[in-house]
Parts: sequence; C-alpha cells; structure tokens
Amino acid sequence: MIELLLAVLFLSPILGSLPVAFAWLLEPKRDWSRRLPILAVLGLFVSFLCTLYILFNFGELNLEEVHKFSFDWLPGFNISFTFIFDYLSRIMGVLTALIAFLIGVYGLEYMKHDYRLGWYWFFFNLFTASMLLVVYSDNLLMLLIGWEGLGLASWALIGHWFRDDDELSFVGIVGRKIAGLNYFWSPSLGAWRAISTIRVGDMPMFFAIAAIFFLVRNLNISEIPWSELAEKIGAAGIFLILLAFLLGPFTKSAQLPFSEWLMTAMTGPTTVSALLHSATMVAAGTYIFMRLTWYMKPWTIHSVGIEVLYVLVLFLGLISALYGASVALGCRERKVLLAASTMSSLGLMFATASAGFWVGQIAILVAFWYLVTHAFAKATLFLVAGHLIHETHDRFCVGGRELAKHLKLAFAATIIATLCLSGIPPLTAYWVKSAMDGIMHSLEHEFGFIPLSLLVLTSAVYSAFLAKFLSLNFLKGEYHVKSHGGGRLMGIAYTAMGSMLLLLLFVYLYFPEFLEFVAEGFLPSSLAVGLVVLLTYLLTLSKPTLESPIGKALGDRLYLAFLNDYVVSKIGWSLARLVDYANKAIDIFCHKAVPKAFEMSSKGIRRVQSGSIELYLRISVAVLLVLLTVAIALGVIM
Amino acid sequence: MSAFLYALLFPLIVTFILPVLRPRSSTFLSALSFLIPATTALYGLLTAHRGEELLINVSAPIGDFYLLYDPISHAFGFTISLVSAMVALYSLPYMRHRFEEMDVGESEFRKYWFLYNLYAVSMLWLVYSGNLILLYIFLEISLLASFMLIYLYGYGNRQWVGILYFVWTHIAGVLALTGFLIIALSNQTLALNEIRVIGFLPWLLIFLGMIVKLPGLGPHIWLPWAHAEAPTPVSALLSPLTVGLAGYILLRIYLIDSSFIAQFRDIIVGYAIISSIYAGLSVFRQRDYKRLLAYSTVSQMGYVLIALCLGTYGLMGLVIQYMSHAFGKAILFMTAGAIITAFHGLRSLDKMKGMHEFVPTISNAALIGFMTLSGIITIGMFAEFLILTGLTQIYGLNLEIVSLVVLVFVISGLYSFYTMREIYYGTPMGYEKPKLSRLLDLPLYAIAFFSVAFIFPPLAPALLDGIKLVLGGVAP
Repeated sequence: MIELLLAVLFLSPILGSLPVAFAWLLEPKRDWSRRLPILAVLGLFVSFLCTLYILFNFGELNLEEVHKFSFDWLPGFNISFTFIFDYLSRIMGVLTALIAFLIGVYGLEYMKHDYRLGWYWFFFNLFTASMLLVVYSDNLLMLLIGWEGLGLASWALIGHWFRDDDELSFVGIVGRKIAGLNYFWSPSLGAWRAISTIRVGDMPMFFAIAAIFFLVRNLNISEIPWSELAEKIGAAGIFLILLAFLLGPFTKSAQLPFSEWLMTAMTGPTTVSALLHSATMVAAGTYIFMRLTWYMKPWTIHSVGIEVLYVLVLFLGLISALYGASVALGCRERKVLLAASTMSSLGLMFATASAGFWVGQIAILVAFWYLVTHAFAKATLFLVAGHLIHETHDRFCVGGRELAKHLKLAFAATIIATLCLSGIPPLTAYWVKSAMDGIMHSLEHEFGFIPLSLLVLTSAVYSAFLAKFLSLNFLKGEYHVKSHGGGRLMGIAYTAMGSMLLLLLFVYLYFPEFLEFVAEGFLPSSLAVGLVVLLTYLLTLSKPTLESPIGKALGDRLYLAFLNDYVVSKIGWSLARLVDYANKAIDIFCHKAVPKAFEMSSKGIRRVQSGSIELYLRISVAVLLVLLTVAIALGVIM
Repeated sequence: MSAFLYALLFPLIVTFILPVLRPRSSTFLSALSFLIPATTALYGLLTAHRGEELLINVSAPIGDFYLLYDPISHAFGFTISLVSAMVALYSLPYMRHRFEEMDVGESEFRKYWFLYNLYAVSMLWLVYSGNLILLYIFLEISLLASFMLIYLYGYGNRQWVGILYFVWTHIAGVLALTGFLIIALSNQTLALNEIRVIGFLPWLLIFLGMIVKLPGLGPHIWLPWAHAEAPTPVSALLSPLTVGLAGYILLRIYLIDSSFIAQFRDIIVGYAIISSIYAGLSVFRQRDYKRLLAYSTVSQMGYVLIALCLGTYGLMGLVIQYMSHAFGKAILFMTAGAIITAFHGLRSLDKMKGMHEFVPTISNAALIGFMTLSGIITIGMFAEFLILTGLTQIYGLNLEIVSLVVLVFVISGLYSFYTMREIYYGTPMGYEKPKLSRLLDLPLYAIAFFSVAFIFPPLAPALLDGIKLVLGGVAP
C-alpha cells in the first residue's frame, strides 16, 4: 500500500509529462501535441493528492510523530531508500505539490505558444518530483538523487529559451557594459551560471555525505549519532564536515557569495522562477538545514566546532538577508527584484533556524513557517509579474492605474501578497516575523543587539521594495493598455495562490500550536517593529523611486557579478591557457623533437658508413687521440 | 564448457563470418554477437557468479591459461559488450558516410567489420583472461586491430596518427610485457591465481606501462591525437573501453600484491590529482569536439588512478568509474559522430551554436552523457561516492587532499555544462535540420538507460555487493 502511494507520488508527475515530451520530440508544434500538457498538470495534481493523504493519514500532526518506511537499496552498505513522514516533511510536501500544481495550471496558459513544450513540461515535472524526493527522504544518498535532480532541472529550465534571441528573456539591459564586462545575461549564460555555482557547492556536500557514511555507516538523517560523531572526530573535524555539507545548501539557497546565479536565473520562463523561488530548489537548501538541525539537536551537543558553525550560519544569513533586500530596493527589473528579495528571505530562514543552537526547536518552527508564508507570497508575486510581462512586453517595472484597472485580479493579488509578506500587523507574516524578532532578541546575551537590529533593518527595507513593486506596476506611471485579453487561467492561479495567504493567517490565529507566535505579536516591541514596517511601506508606496548613486550601485547588485564573470573566469581561463601552452610544448617535444633527434642521429650514423677507408682511418685516429688525452689527463690527476 | 564460455566464443567466431555478409546483416550480427555476452555478464553480475574455466595447460614459467569469472570481470565484460554492441549498430550509417567521404565502395565494410569485431572481442576476452600472457596477447590484438582501423579510416593525417598511436601503445606494451616476464621468472607461473609475489621492479614496469596507456600527465599527449582522428565508432571504443583497461590490469595486479601502491600512495595520488585537474582544464581550450572529449578522457582516467590508491572503497570506485566513464564517453563520442555525419564533417566548436535546434535527440543524449561524467543521477554518482568514501578511509579529514579531489570533480561538472552551452545552446547557426538515421541516436539511449538503471535495484546492489565480495579480504 505504502509502496504504491510513494510510487504514485513520485512517478505521476514524470509519467504525466512523458506524452508531451515524446510527442514534441517526434512531431513538434502540432495542435494535438499542444494539448498534452494537460496530462502533465494532471500528474502534478495526483501528486498533490498523495501529499494530502500523507498529511492527514499518518497519525496526528505534531512535533513528535514520526513514520519511517525503508526499502532495500544497498543492503550490504546499510543504505536504503528511507522515507520519512514527520512534521516538517508532511507540511512541506503539501506545500511543494500544491504550489507546483497551481503554477502548472498557470503554465498551461503562460507557455501556450512556446517553441519547446516537451522540454519545458518534462523538466518542470522532474523539478517537482525531485523536490518531493528531497522533502520526504531521510537517507542522504537518496536525498542526493533529488538534490541533483533539482540542479539539473533548474539548469534545463533556466536555459529553456536556449536560442538567446528574445530580449524579454534576458537579465540586465542588453548591450550594457561596465568596465568592459557585459552586464547583461542571456538564458544560456544564466543556465551555465546556475549549474556552475551549484556544482561548486554540491561536491563538498557529497564529500561530507561520504565521510559521514564512512564514519558512522548510517546515512539516515534521523539516525546519525551526531554527538558521538562530534566526539569521535573532534571540533575541527565536525566543523569541516558540517561546513562541507552546508556548502550545498548555501549555493542552492544563494547565500553570499553564491548569490549571483539566482539573479540571472530570471532568464527562465516566469513559471520556473515562481517554482524555483517558492517551494523548490532554493527552499531545498534551507529545508535541509532545518531538517538537519531538527534531528541533530545541536542545543544538546557541546562542541565548539558546531557552535562556531552555527554562529557562521547566523551571520551569513543575516548579512545575505540585508544584502538581498537592499539589492531588491535598487532593482528595476520585475523578476530580478523578486529574486533578490527571495535571497533576503532565505537569509532570514537560515539565520532564524541557526538560532536554534541557542533557543532550541522553536527557532526551526519559526523559520519553517516563515518559509511556508514566503512560498505562497513569492509564488503569487512571480505569477503576477509573469502576467505583467505578457501584458506589457517589458521586463522592467512599468505600469500605472490603467493597468491596475485592466488587471484587477493581478492588482488585488499583489496588494494581498505584499501586505501579507512584509509583516504589517495583523496580517500573515506579521505573526511569524514577531516570533522571529523574539528569537533574535533572545540572542542578546550572546551577540548583543546586532542580530535583532539587522533583522529589523532588513524587514524595513523588505517592506519598502514590496511597496515599490506594487507602486511602480499599478499606481505610478503612465502605461497605456494595448488590450490583449486572455489571462483567465493565469488570474485564477495567482488568485488561488494569494488566497492561501489568508488561509494561513486563519491557521496562525486559530490553531493553538501557534500560541507562541501570536503571543509574541502582542508584545509592544513587536508592534513597534510592525509599525516601522508599515510606515516604510506607506512611504515607499507614495514615493517609489529615488535617484541616487547608492541606489544605482544596489541595482547593479553591488557589482558582485564581477566575482563570477571576471575574477573566477579570469583565473580559470588563465590556468587553462597555461595548461594549453604546456600541452603544446609536450606535443612538440614528443612528436617533433624526439623523432627529429632520432632522424638526425640515424642520418649521422649512415653518413659514416660510406665505405671510404680514409674516413674510417681518420675516425680511428681521432678516437685514439681522444683516448690518449684522457689517459694522460687521468695520469696527471692521479 | 560453461555457457559463459560459449557466449564469449560466439563473437570470436562471428568475427570470421562477418566479411562474407552484406553490410546490413553483418551490422546486426555483430551487434547480436556482443549482446549475448552482455546478457551472460549481466546474469553473472546478478547472481554474483564466480568461477574459473581451464583452457589449456601450459608448463612453467607460463602457467595455465584459464578464464576468470568474477563480478569484476563481469562488470567490465558487461560494459565492453554493451558498448561494443551499440557502437556496432551505430557504425552502419556512420561508416557508410565515411566510405562515401573517402570515395571507396561498400565492399570496404568487409575489412571494417572484421577489424571492428576483432578489436572489440579481444578486449572482451582480455577482461576474462586468467593468465597475464593470455591477457597480453589480447591486449596486443586489440592494439593492432585498432591501429589498423585508425590507419585505414582515420581523419586528417591518419597514417602519421596511426603510427604515433602504434609507437606509444607499444612502449606501454613492452614495459608491461617486461614486467610480466620478470614475474614469470620469479613465480614460475603467470596464472593469476598462482602468482604469489610481485617484486618492486615488475610492479614499476607494469605501472609505468599502464601510465602511458591510461594515460597520466606527460604521456597523455598521444591520446588526443589518436582519439580525435580515429573514425568515430573506433573513438567510441578506444576512449570508453580501451584506455580504462589499464586500470583493470593495475587492479588485477593490485589484488595479488598491493605493496607498490601502499609504498608510493601519496606520490601516485598527487600525480593523479594533478593529471586530472590539468586535463580537465585543457578541455576548456579545445575547439574540436572530439579532441575536447579526448581530453576529458584523460581527466576521467585520473579518477581511476586516484581510486586505485584508496583502499577497498577506492577499488570499488575504480570499477564503477570505468563503467560510468565508458557509458558516458561512448554516448558522447557517438554524439560527436552524429554531428559529423549530419553536417558533413562538422567538428569545430566555432561553427556550432544552438545545435539543439537541429539535432534535439543528439543534444539530449549528450546531456545524459555529460551527466554521467559529472555524476548526476547516473552511475557516475556511485563512482564519486565510493572514491570520496575511500578518501576518508585512507586520508581521514585531510583538508588539502579533500579539497583537491573535490576540485577534480567540480571541474568535470564545469566542463560538461560549459560544453553543453558551447555546442547545443546559444543562437542557432544557419543549418538545415537533417534527417538522422535512427541508428545514430537509439543506441545512445540504450546505453543511457543502463547508466541510470545502475543506480537502482536490482542492478546497483548486485554490482556493488558483487565487487565487494571479490575485494573482501583485501587490506586497504
């Protein structure tokens, strides 16, 4: 029974996408093959039903209830396919599948006229299935299959418009150069940047998994004896392994300095950005960190190595959050703005979860529910952005009241999503953010007010750019609608997505599990923060643009692109050139010089064998003379 | 006589029948003749079959000629026969095109099929050989047959390249043979199950020979010439199958006496890492598709050498790495060949952009090939996992070595997707969409299927447990 459930869960999206994939390969662009994506979305829906079943049918949903199911994989190595249904995975699974399904529905209309439907749907569904595998797997090696699947599918989807011929699919102003470097990115380049960054993190992570396997011969996250391991290999050892492991999540979740790929990932279709930024890929990184912390219980282990690591994650997260939010504030491209804001949110998730080292499990819960809130809000905003791009044929924030009137649903969805995400009391994210404030506040003993002030600053900037997004697209500006019609399916999808935020608000206020969140929300300090956020929101709403050199630099992402496109690539290419010279030298030596030397010596020897007695005599005399000289010289020395 | 022996004899006999058949029938017969040993090898893997089968009694110091069946042989045997069968199918459209290009008639196929089958079958027999002299004989036959194929049907300055290949591989051969002979004199036998000691000198000679063949940094310079200029079906055997056999020979020698590796482990690992990084970086500068793939082979063979030094896990990694590289590189060479056939000799990366537009099936196959090389959801994943586990076993958490090996793996991933972008992505150039023969793309997917299937049950546990069984008693 459970086998069947799992098989359907993971395979239905993939099987559903196969008809369109094959049809497209054989008979592209025919009408009937344009209707097949319905099956792919149906696969996503079936998968969603399975996740719902898992949510409701495995005992009560509480922090202790854990169900594990193992199937043989490599019994000789104590590695098995182990699926885990616990608090985190049951909720995360539903979140992933629901968001993927809604985006799938949206995609039916958004991608209708695309030139590469087979590729799109196959990798879109593979993306979802991979994420579900990451969500439900307890075994690290099995998780790695999903993890690599995410990386591969993101590469395929970011570079979906591989022809690089559509300005709408670029990031940055086409043709722009800064200090000789192209400051715009095509889809194929965006795909390359994504996969190359991810590989840099995945390989150390892979090493960490192999090392854990060798040291404890168990790869189930919930069973690895972390404290014994820490004792066995010492503080430096456990730090090294955990850091290597976390390089995977850091690159996937685009923390500094690995953030560039996420910004240029916007070269993919908007649906992909929406999925990538809400519940898959980037969320996978933070999700794995939460899961690791959940079962490692670092608050029970006394190890300097682990402590140092958690301090590192805390500050890396906070700084990435501030960086991301500031970049979003300076950004004028719809999707890149949202991308930078995702990076900011991910930073907050990392930071909050890492605070678990000091305050315990509650920190992970806060980070997790922030992830859920963020996922729905961000998916809504991306879907709206996609619709806007379709409507205006412009990647940059343009719009106005006329557009708002024309796209009422989009306008409403944007209002709900921005209000709910920025943490304005009493809307959805406010309660989670308040709990986050409380957690950062409780780190006062260790780090003073630094974490809390970084968080408050980030929150203020965050609400500012959300207001800017709303204002520039729907309120300010003189955009004239060239009517287009359509967009009904898209509208339904993001309205449904946005309304999930209201449902979530109800969940927070109604269920007793969230009492702590709500209690934090009623503290005067939280209300004060909420007020600050509200003020910045309103302020930016009325004045969304501000010309300043700082803003420009932020919009150019503080020139971090030079790290990827200049520093690393220069080093790489100069090494490659060096190696190339060496190859040429070896080639000439082995295949020119050595044969030539043989040829010369053979010619020399053949010249001697001429049959002339005189020559032979001369040589004999010369050799004799040389020998004689040597003998005399030796005699003198002796 | 066991079924395994019959399965091995079949392609050998077929080799001599092929020249009298028509090109089309010989293609399918040749493929069939390799699918049969592939099936038995797979069966041997799944049942963890082990055994020996005596062929001839030979007196000292040669020792008995026998066939050695164990999961390691079966793993290599399966890889060789599967790839050979698929490349055989692929040969038909490719060589037809090549013969037209060279302006020779279809009758040339007679020569081709004889040499092709002889080449592949000698490699297959090599991995089942239980005697070093027998092994050497098959090594020599495979070298001669491949030399002939390059010499007759290669590209560019093919006679020069053929002789270059011949000289280099014979340097390797002579070094190894000298080593074998010293072993024969000191042990009075060359049967693998009776050799007791391998002294320093023979180990060194064999090792150096295999470094030339593998190849390591320095001697690697012959490989890009030979593999790039050979006709593509031959490249698709040379690169995936032949060079890696050096790893197989070193593995067999190691299983008898591991002293040499234990003594020089650090030096060899260091050399292997440098060699792999060096070759990996070289890939980026290549503008010829086949040359690019050839450099990637050098880099991947560095993995084999690293794996050799990493204890039991490393040795398991070596076998899996051979398979993964063979699957991946066979697919990739065939994609290069398909482009050559479809676009009249197109090999230069400068003239390729957005090729996905014209040959989507080839592009997708190349993606799976590169996934295999970089270990993404394919058997390559296990190779990397085992090598990294072995690394922890031997070197612990040694930061320098760990980061270097990780760098080796990262570079493979980078050049893979860099090449994908250079060739298949980007604004398409003005080519026409060609009509591809199905034999130019389906065989690639057959190999790709196994590349993915080998990470799931029942193949994965059978393979890994089987190899572990053979290596069981070996100290790290």
